[in-house]
Amino acid sequence: MILKRLTTQTFRNLDIADQTFHPHANLIVGRNGQGKTNLLEAIYFLATTKSFRTSRVASLFRFDEPGLFVSGIVERNALDRALSVGMEMEPRRRLLTINAEKVPLADYVNALSVFAYSSSRLDTLRGTPEDRRRFLDRGIASVSPGYVEQLTRFQRALKQRNALLHDIAAGAAPSFTLDAWDEEVSAAAEPIWNGRRLYVEQLSQTFREIVAMHEYHVNRIELVYRPANGVIPRGAEIRARTSLTGPQRDVLDFEIDGRPVADVLSGGEQKMIVLFLKFAKIELFRRRMDDEPLFLLDDIDAELDLDILQELLRKLPSQTQVFATSAKERFLDVLETSPHRRLVIENGRVTSAQDFA
Amino acid sequence: MTAPPLANLINELTKLPGVGGKSASRLAYHILKRPMIEAEALAQAILDVKTKVFRCSICNNMTDVEPCAICSDPRRDASTICVVEEAFNISTIEQTRDFKGVFHVLLGALSPLKGIGPQDIDVNGLLKRIRDGAIREVIIATNPNVEGEATALYIAQQLRSTGVKTTRLAFGLPVGGDLEYADQVTMSKALEGRREI
Repeated sequence: MILKRLTTQTFRNLDIADQTFHPHANLIVGRNGQGKTNLLEAIYFLATTKSFRTSRVASLFRFDEPGLFVSGIVERNALDRALSVGMEMEPRRRLLTINAEKVPLADYVNALSVFAYSSSRLDTLRGTPEDRRRFLDRGIASVSPGYVEQLTRFQRALKQRNALLHDIAAGAAPSFTLDAWDEEVSAAAEPIWNGRRLYVEQLSQTFREIVAMHEYHVNRIELVYRPANGVIPRGAEIRARTSLTGPQRDVLDFEIDGRPVADVLSGGEQKMIVLFLKFAKIELFRRRMDDEPLFLLDDIDAELDLDILQELLRKLPSQTQVFATSAKERFLDVLETSPHRRLVIENGRVTSAQDFA
Repeated sequence: MTAPPLANLINELTKLPGVGGKSASRLAYHILKRPMIEAEALAQAILDVKTKVFRCSICNNMTDVEPCAICSDPRRDASTICVVEEAFNISTIEQTRDFKGVFHVLLGALSPLKGIGPQDIDVNGLLKRIRDGAIREVIIATNPNVEGEATALYIAQQLRSTGVKTTRLAFGLPVGGDLEYADQVTMSKALEGRREI
């Protein structure tokens, strides 16, 4: 799929009016603070209705503006479709449309698939267990669209069970009612565990293949998935007033010889590992969906092994549309070997766009 | 400024579910425009529903006779009870004309988040009916969402000791629709519940 055009209104500092893009590679250049990353954010937002840098969508709003709007034209299988996301801050409201028709989120997010790499993605290695569960869940959702609904269902059942545990601890509810919620929660947890187990298996396999192919020196990383499916005595959960077992406590670790990668590798090595993982995710997506996603590459810097990045990009099928930014223009050289468009961004606007063959 | 009696009506209308400020004032101005006789009919209908309609002592259905028309109909099979969350669910099932049994309205579904526990839904009434009469089957037709499912599981547990046959409505594709419009969860439920032909 290809993003052909993009328009933004009061999206951070951007003022993009019907900007067209190159079908293969788009290099976004400009001084710091001009809106390079925001442009990638707008594309990511158009595809997912979320931000790729933070979990708080509020940060996408322009100061003192109550709403924001992003729209674009996506080409897929030779058909053009118009996508738009409108969002209001207070009360929080979201309107998603495809070809000017309102659609539910589950349908909307299947229309445009993007994968984003940015240095904030190092959270995958350095962040909390929750960051790593999110890393997994987003990957699974990209290859099996029904997963999001299954996850929502599980979270709702879990919330109900936790509320009940709280009531029981406070003496406001009898404990025998837990039986029904136990069954409901474990029925909802089953597809989450299955989905995660399968995805980790496939991702580790593909990740290892990619690392080996590029002969990267760090090649003993293991993805270790530990589902939290143990049996916990009910009394302990009532005392804790919360569920102590279940997918919400699953652990995914990246380890070398049993030690966390974040403790062993240098910053640059960690960035490369995250990059390899990203390419593994893209590979799984392509195999499953038989389509090419967009790839956003934010802030290419000196810590990345640019030779390997160049090779990785060259191995992507030519239909993969790439958007890349860097604070230093020369780092974008890795993308200049093939036809591309160079967009200069100044003060939130694209001031020039030039194609190179 | 809106005249106080009009503002009052708008305020009362906004208390209805699904009616916001704009809809309320559109409704209020509409009522104002129509003849007096229509307003009287509406007001009378509201008063009638409150004074003449009550819950059936057997099944909790909304009725103006005791017991309700379904419970007192001799042609209905009183040994099959269909359990629903709310009285308005009955009309959906009744429209099919396929169900010949009787109903039991729970008056809600379990939801600890809303403080709704087993004591707040009428499972005891159901158990009493099973103990008192010759019930052969209980069909649980609670909503297929998280709360409805937990409620179904809870009722099934409570009924286990009675030995009565307990069934759950099937999940699957809407008939007459196209496969492409089915959401993912419904589709996997339908796959799960597939049968040989």
